Amino acid sequence: MSWPGFASLSAAWFLLLLAPLVIFYFLKLRRPRVEVSSLALWRQVISDSRVNSPFQKFQRNLLLLAQILLLLALVIAAMQPFWPASAQTARYLPVIIDVSASMEGVDRAGAVTRLELAKQEARKLIDGLMSDQQLSLIAASDSARRLTDFTNDQRVLRAALDQLTIAEATSKLEDAFRMAIALSRTVPVETVVLLSDGNVPPQLDLELPFRVSFQKLPAATANVGITEFNARRSRGAWDVFARVEASSGYTGLTQVEFFENGELRSSESLSLAPGAAERLVFRTTSAEITEVTLRLVPDSLDALASDNEAFLVTPQVRPLVVYCPPTMTTFRHALAAMGDTAIFPTESTPTPSSIDLVISDQLADAERDARVVVTVALLPADLEPLVLAGGDAEGSGLAEVTDWMRTDPLLRHVQLLDVQIGGAPVLKEGQSDRSVEAAGYQVVATAANGPLIVSRNAGGQIRYHILFPTDRSTLPFRVGFPILVANAVDLAMNLAGLNETKALRTGVLPPIALKPDTRYRIVGPVARELTAPANGELKLAKPATSASRSVATRTTEITTDEQGQLSGVAAPAVGTYQIFEGTTLVRQVGVALQSLQETSLFVQGDLRFAEAKVSAAEEKLSVETPLWRWFAWAALAFLLWEWWLFQKPPIPAKAQVAPR
Amino acid sequence: MATAKQLTAILENSSLAKAEQLRLAPRFRKTNRMRGEHLAGRGGSSTEFEDFRDYSPGDDTRYVDWNIFARLHRPYLKLYRHEEEMHIVLIIDASASMKFGEKFERARQLAALFAVMGLMNMEPVSIFALGSRNEATHQIKRLRGRTSFRKLFEFLENITPGGDAEIDYTIDAALRQHAGRGVVICLSDFLTFGRLDHAMSRLFGAGLEPWAIQLLSAEEYEPTLEQDARFVDSETGDTLDITAGGDLMGIYQQYRQALERELETVCRQRGGRALSFSSAQSVQQIMFETLRRKGWIR
Repeated sequence: MSWPGFASLSAAWFLLLLAPLVIFYFLKLRRPRVEVSSLALWRQVISDSRVNSPFQKFQRNLLLLAQILLLLALVIAAMQPFWPASAQTARYLPVIIDVSASMEGVDRAGAVTRLELAKQEARKLIDGLMSDQQLSLIAASDSARRLTDFTNDQRVLRAALDQLTIAEATSKLEDAFRMAIALSRTVPVETVVLLSDGNVPPQLDLELPFRVSFQKLPAATANVGITEFNARRSRGAWDVFARVEASSGYTGLTQVEFFENGELRSSESLSLAPGAAERLVFRTTSAEITEVTLRLVPDSLDALASDNEAFLVTPQVRPLVVYCPPTMTTFRHALAAMGDTAIFPTESTPTPSSIDLVISDQLADAERDARVVVTVALLPADLEPLVLAGGDAEGSGLAEVTDWMRTDPLLRHVQLLDVQIGGAPVLKEGQSDRSVEAAGYQVVATAANGPLIVSRNAGGQIRYHILFPTDRSTLPFRVGFPILVANAVDLAMNLAGLNETKALRTGVLPPIALKPDTRYRIVGPVARELTAPANGELKLAKPATSASRSVATRTTEITTDEQGQLSGVAAPAVGTYQIFEGTTLVRQVGVALQSLQETSLFVQGDLRFAEAKVSAAEEKLSVETPLWRWFAWAALAFLLWEWWLFQKPPIPAKAQVAPR
Repeated sequence: MATAKQLTAILENSSLAKAEQLRLAPRFRKTNRMRGEHLAGRGGSSTEFEDFRDYSPGDDTRYVDWNIFARLHRPYLKLYRHEEEMHIVLIIDASASMKFGEKFERARQLAALFAVMGLMNMEPVSIFALGSRNEATHQIKRLRGRTSFRKLFEFLENITPGGDAEIDYTIDAALRQHAGRGVVICLSDFLTFGRLDHAMSRLFGAGLEPWAIQLLSAEEYEPTLEQDARFVDSETGDTLDITAGGDLMGIYQQYRQALERELETVCRQRGGRALSFSSAQSVQQIMFETLRRKGWIR
């Protein structure tokens, strides 16, 4: 059995005020003299045992009693009494609050969200905060965000909690726990509280120096959502693929609406069994840049709204622009055999300024700005100290490929075994493949004496350097050669977004290749706000339509790095993000939740760490309950009672009035 | 229109006129042998026939009913009711405690009405009033007849309350001055530290039927206590600290009612009667409604 404790026991000294209170009470008690006809009756009354009973004596000094109780209540309140928690009190307590998409789930219509439940639990912790305890709030979704430092300022903590909103992203707790680990290095952290619905990754590759109190909130069960959304080029248009999943608790019909540039193109009803998935295919009607939206309208309870919409921007349908000098006949022949390519230079058409793929053995062409550049028999300048070109190497006879990266996009399905290569480059004395890698290149294929093909990814541009002259090798005569060229074309088409495009996932946008050192303005949707209607129930705002989404937008400005990479763009909400250079729209990308983990609402019973398994706490986190408010209220009540006693009119006794 | 001159400042003439038509109704007829207006229980010489009895030697032959003797040839004596005087004694508590409320005023008014009833019935009326133990008893004795009205009213008008004489002391003092059987009416608040049973026993022993009328002020009937107070006895100057709160007033009421019951008991046990009134009630209400309904007067 636990007993109440006192956080400020020194305030008990104020109890000494009881002595002067009693003394002054009796000293100040001046009875007015009242002349009465006779004391005959009054003496009998006063000598009555009932009047002199302890209780009656107690009653006769009710005013003093009220004052004593008032003082006692105030002193006890000042002593900050609390009801201790069952567990040992943690002085520093990081609280990780899951704000991933599944936390917006509701278990019934009009109910509060999981995030609101988590906030309620966090508020209890804040309310139970003792003066020597400090809390730090951490929001966790696909990344972690520290809301407050360690503090016992309840106002700050509550304000941070109130501003906490859902991040429409997949839950990944590693960052949050790493943040907690970092905190534990500065202050002694014994326990970390995790408030989550349990829709988290089952395995976390972390070793924790503290105990985790996993406070699992009741999870929502009924949900349907889009878990995949992408498009593939097909005959001058785009085939859009979507995967719609239902959670195990979902039953009902779902209306699937397909929009192109905000116009409804298709609407169909989909019946999904609980836990089942359906793959849907739509075809766009336009070859231009098209904003594609897929929206689900469930007819029954749907816990999450954020996975009911997915956005995708399909690029303009056009052929891949390839630059390949006429001297490279073998490559041009291979390129000509492929569809959807425009090969330059030609005699009739000038070469466009924007090129997707360059395949050249000319040094000047190697500097062209293209998404994929493949040089042949050209040694990059920064490799000259390491490698001797084939023509310069002594004894550079025929070489054979000893190893190659079969998974590299350029060499996928390319068989290089037994390819005879003349003029192969040779590593200089004392150099090795590691030296090449140290120079920033990846060795894709190598011979016994040196690298044959190297690659470099620089600023969104992929450069392949075939270091040997292909016309002095047997490669063009192998089946692998057209495959290699096709791989280069595919790679360029993918990078140009001409082949397929995928809706990006919420969180942080991947690096986007733009102009170097240029400031861009990114306009994107904001995360859905939790609204509190008049009836007090929290509901998610209705998903914004494509047209209205532009109203609820958030603008950020980011400057690209020297390589032209625009990175670190936060995409916390589902929708279309537009990137402007000044007032010119240069790129737009669609972002969707696309998380099977979040959509399925699957709840993990345990969190598995590298060395331990943490089960969800069966009992609610026991916090120290401060009791001082109760005593403050009691003091107020005693004050009112005293005032009433002081002010109350005398109650006349019931008399039997004559005559009888 | 000319108005009749008030006989006294104590009472209105209408009340006096009403009282003139009433007379006391004692429970027992305690009378003097002297002839008076009250019919004695035994035979007498009034004109009102009561009974016959056999003649005994020595009887006054004037009372022999000769008509019966003529018919029966035996002498029978014709008896008449004997009318004796009944002394009416009024004892007024004039101590300081009677100053509170309208107690003393009501006591004087009641005394005046009782006296008027006695005088109009040709009964001897004596009034005793005492305020202080150090003073002599104010008294007026054996008034009789309508001609005594002026004396009666002058006496009552001149009494002023004040002093420390409690009712039992006043009764003792009155008894020392009084002789004669009849009815004694004590008008007091009976708030005394003395013993009422002793006082009533002495009245009874003196041949008086004790009637007690307790007059309490409205504040004594239903006291209020707003705060703790120090009570000062108006007669003795003694003090008593009273702390408000609890059921103090309820206990007070129980003791006041116990005093009423004690007064009634000691009077009844001595052939008398007692009633308690609030001085806030009018004298007409007390006298012509309550006392008449209770059979004290008729």
